[in-house]
Amino acid sequence: MGAGRRILIAGVGTHWGTELALRLERDPGVEHVIGLDTTPPLAQLERTEFLEADIRNPLLARLLPSTGADTLVHTGILWYPEPGKPQRALHDINVIGTLQLLAACERTASLERVVLRGSAAIYGCEPTGPSFFTESMANDFPLRTRFQRDIGELEGYFANFARRHSRLTCCMLRYQPEIGPGLDAPIAHYLSLPVVPTQLGFDPRLQLVHADDATGALHAATMNPIRGAVNVAPSGSISLSRALRLIERPQMPIPHPLFGPAMARLGDRLGAGSLYGDAVRLLRYGRGVDNARLRTELGYEPRFDAVAAIRDFAAADRGLRLVPAIGVGSVLDRIAGAR
Amino acid sequence: MSATAPAASIPDYGVRFLRSVRTAVDGGLDPVAAAEAASADLPKALRDAVERMARRLRGEYHEDEWGFDEEFAEAAYPFFELLYDQWWRVDAAGVGNVPAHGRAMLVSNHAGSLFPFDASMITGAIMKEHPLPRWPRFMVLDWAFSLPFLSAFMRKVGGVPASPHNATRILRDDGLMMVFPEGVKGTGKPFAERYRLQRFGRGGFVEVALRTGSPIVPVAVVGSEEIYPKIADSSWLARLIGAPYAPITPTFPWLGLLGLVPLPSKWRIEFCEPIQIGDLGPDAADDRQLVFEISEQVRETIQQKLYENLVKRGSAFV
Repeated sequence: MGAGRRILIAGVGTHWGTELALRLERDPGVEHVIGLDTTPPLAQLERTEFLEADIRNPLLARLLPSTGADTLVHTGILWYPEPGKPQRALHDINVIGTLQLLAACERTASLERVVLRGSAAIYGCEPTGPSFFTESMANDFPLRTRFQRDIGELEGYFANFARRHSRLTCCMLRYQPEIGPGLDAPIAHYLSLPVVPTQLGFDPRLQLVHADDATGALHAATMNPIRGAVNVAPSGSISLSRALRLIERPQMPIPHPLFGPAMARLGDRLGAGSLYGDAVRLLRYGRGVDNARLRTELGYEPRFDAVAAIRDFAAADRGLRLVPAIGVGSVLDRIAGAR
Repeated sequence: MSATAPAASIPDYGVRFLRSVRTAVDGGLDPVAAAEAASADLPKALRDAVERMARRLRGEYHEDEWGFDEEFAEAAYPFFELLYDQWWRVDAAGVGNVPAHGRAMLVSNHAGSLFPFDASMITGAIMKEHPLPRWPRFMVLDWAFSLPFLSAFMRKVGGVPASPHNATRILRDDGLMMVFPEGVKGTGKPFAERYRLQRFGRGGFVEVALRTGSPIVPVAVVGSEEIYPKIADSSWLARLIGAPYAPITPTFPWLGLLGLVPLPSKWRIEFCEPIQIGDLGPDAADDRQLVFEISEQVRETIQQKLYENLVKRGSAFV
């Protein structure tokens, strides 16, 4: 048997699970990649063994030990609904699913490392308080949205699990929202609307992780995880208004109490879908996290800072756009549904 | 008989400029690029202004990680300069005590119930009178950051939500941090208690200064108490809008928006000798007794300077 690593990816059918599998396949230090999900990977994978299983199924406890994996990466925590995974199933998938998965890990003797792809939503989006949250500030503010409470519960379980199994290296990655050319995510759709609704008088500071760095950090954490939580975010921050100028999108300010309902109503018509999780608060107050632990302890230096990530998104976006003119009339047509 | 060629007047420039913007837009350029192209035959000052505006509209400007936008702050500066020179006739002393580089913490008294202007006037004193000026950052009461417009404005000119974590980070990056340990207790006190320093919290600012090894520069501001004399407080209004207090002044809310015009008191700002605490080391921050002692020392320095400057100022308004 080779000395290479055996890595199991739970949630390989998600965008990030597939991306990670693609990178691991190219990594010579990895002997075997096993992908676990209810849906097949999004890309053609060459040497990943695909196991069709639901992490919410108790049978997992028997399946997991037989894989002989030394590392488990869970990328199946969902920030927003996906086809086949509606809003009301998110709590089940995110919290109950992860709980089952961790229970199965307890029976897997070969396991040495567990990595979870979580969210920086645990810090909330607050007008007050630290402008750069460090990993120790997770419990400073009340959890306000359903997604935040799910993430909070999840982190609680995971911290407990890590305490009880000190032989395992347990790493929780707290991701800021991702952005990237062609990335299928609500915030990317939102930023590429022809006219972008914003909240009147608010100009949040944002940190959007470039998709390349999001996968890069996940890869780095998979290969050499460290104990505890790690923020995954670009350096610096950018205000929403500047980001929209770089992307060349006019803003349409809406009084902030109406913003959430307006996005829920108009989102689908405009082609952005609704905003989920804590996105409404994120686009009002913004959120900054400190990425020192990612850079120094985990050893991953993001290639894009907050501004460069937006610039890269804007460049690709400009290339895609065939008709540069944005007429208010055409937007009104789309809102009215008369495309 | 003077035969000077009539110089193109401003309206002429304007009309010609708008015409060429129009032509360029018809030719398929977007309005910003058109304005830039059309600005070629404007006078230099106007051309620069158009160029700067076009650049900003493209998003090509700098913001630091806190959202501070130096160009924006410079654009807002003339308004505050007017207040500084003409309205409040600020007299600043000891600006040289503010270190020109490296970390330092400015600690000041806080007053001005409706809008505390003291941070902007201290900034004005540094920018105008210091030989090597630099933009200080200032801690802003939490509540202001939950308000539309005010939150965005505060951030762009250097405001930071009041939090020891933020102060620590700015000082670690060798910034100039302005703090108001009195907080709401200072701005919300009634007019009768003017220039009487309130409690300095739990001395958190001293802990931050010790941890980061930053010298503390006490600053005494006289004049800020008279701009909106708070004669009463409307607790139900405060509760309604979620504010820490809702001041009633002789002019506000009686005169509506006009009541927001601050009274033209005469100001004095004195920057005191820096208190060097760097050699105490970061662990000294855990010594409660020492923290309170330093906090009290700073408080007394400011209080004493307040009385001195009140005497020097004489009458409050003329």
